[in-house]
Amino acid sequence: MPTTNTEPNKLMKYVEDPLLELGGITELVKSFLAELRTKPFYFNLLIDQIYFIGVKSLPLIIITAISSGMVLALQYGLGLEKFGGKPYVPRLVASSILREMGPVFTGLMIAARVGAGIASEIGSMVVTQQIDAMRALGTSPIKRIVIPRILATVIALPILVGICAVIGNIGGLIIGHYELGLDPSFYFRRMMETSNIKDYVAGMGKSVFFALFISIPACYYGLNVKNGTKEVGLATTKAVVAGSLLIFVGDFFLSKLFWVIEKWL
Amino acid sequence: MAVIEINNFKKSFGTKQVHDGVNFTVNKGECLGLVGGSGAGKSVILRSLIGLEKADAGSILINSVDITHMSENDLVEIRKKVAYVFQNGALFDSMTVFDNLAYSLRAHTKMTYDQMDKKISDQLDEFGLLSAKKLYPSELSGGMQKRVGLARAIMMDPDVILYDEPTAGLDPYNTLKIQELILRLKAKKVTSILVTHDMPTGIAVCDRFVFLQNKVISENGTTQELLAQPNSLVNQFIKGQIV
Repeated sequence: MPTTNTEPNKLMKYVEDPLLELGGITELVKSFLAELRTKPFYFNLLIDQIYFIGVKSLPLIIITAISSGMVLALQYGLGLEKFGGKPYVPRLVASSILREMGPVFTGLMIAARVGAGIASEIGSMVVTQQIDAMRALGTSPIKRIVIPRILATVIALPILVGICAVIGNIGGLIIGHYELGLDPSFYFRRMMETSNIKDYVAGMGKSVFFALFISIPACYYGLNVKNGTKEVGLATTKAVVAGSLLIFVGDFFLSKLFWVIEKWL
Repeated sequence: MAVIEINNFKKSFGTKQVHDGVNFTVNKGECLGLVGGSGAGKSVILRSLIGLEKADAGSILINSVDITHMSENDLVEIRKKVAYVFQNGALFDSMTVFDNLAYSLRAHTKMTYDQMDKKISDQLDEFGLLSAKKLYPSELSGGMQKRVGLARAIMMDPDVILYDEPTAGLDPYNTLKIQELILRLKAKKVTSILVTHDMPTGIAVCDRFVFLQNKVISENGTTQELLAQPNSLVNQFIKGQIV
């Protein structure tokens, strides 16, 4: 019976493949940390990546932020109207955007745009032997390719989350004023009363982890493309899926972590 | 004196064994032709000589230094002196020809921009590529890309050059151009290994051939010796009698 022989093998593969990937990612992180401490440091490559990841993502983040801020204000406003709860809209919108929606939506957008970009770019470089050429010319792909991309994502994402928070609240304010009839100065005051430094720290703190969740798998899948251009597409898909899933799953644990830290403080 | 020494080299990929005890040496200033059928593992040997692949067993010595188990960091010094010419050029497509050639100079030397510019311009002039200095790889023909790849590989004035099918897919004009460049480098006493299926080029530039067959070196001799023997593997390979 051929199936009896192949089924356990298939099952083994389902277990083996994720473990191998986990091992590979751990190796990559180890190399990243080891090479981060040694010279040379390619500062110009880091700046290029910050520009690509941060500045070039701004339009996307602005559109996402303003849309989500407006939708949140509208939903909260219409829902709470029946109970006379419209004055709570600024607080709810601000709190949601600062702690949850801002980091998660920005993270997902960056996972889609940047994670895919990193994986496909590195994957193409592997296929065309450019990564081998870097090594053959006595330079490290970890230093030239991986470190600038991971660091740039870690630097750019919290800034984008900060921008998302501001723009998202402006979106909420617009809807609060024009759709819900709230006074802009009232809205602004309530929003500022609600949001405190802890909210910003929690939101931006999460985004540092999200940046790692996006950039490390993207670099790993890109570097591990083996069988030609078809695998570049596969690596890109894997990078986006892994990044997005890690953001969703990680968000719960990170939210919990930051609440625990706040209680201590 | 042997500059390259491969002893009992063994390599497998998964369950597929590619090499099972490969042995050969290359002397200083010599050009060795490494030939064999497609999939025999010629490029794997070449890649292992610069540490891009790791041997499962055996040893690889470059200038009497064992590089078999060297780390990536330790291999940097070796890679400065052993150049690898990739089959398709492997040029960095986001960089101009100038930046491709400046890559290793920026990484390993403290040359000023003017010094680099002069060295690169001289090199490109010698390779007949001066007009391509500011072009991107996508703007070059296949032959030009291979020549730029060769020019980039030798920017650090290496002692050893490893050519991986440098004339594959080229027209006769570009093939001759590459041949001329290899002969020019050979005249400078650079030690080299040429992996090729293009036997006229191999015969024109190689002092000696080794034939890779059934996971081992089956034949090893000077070009004249092997061509003089009608039944030599190299002769049979040229006539298409073996793969």
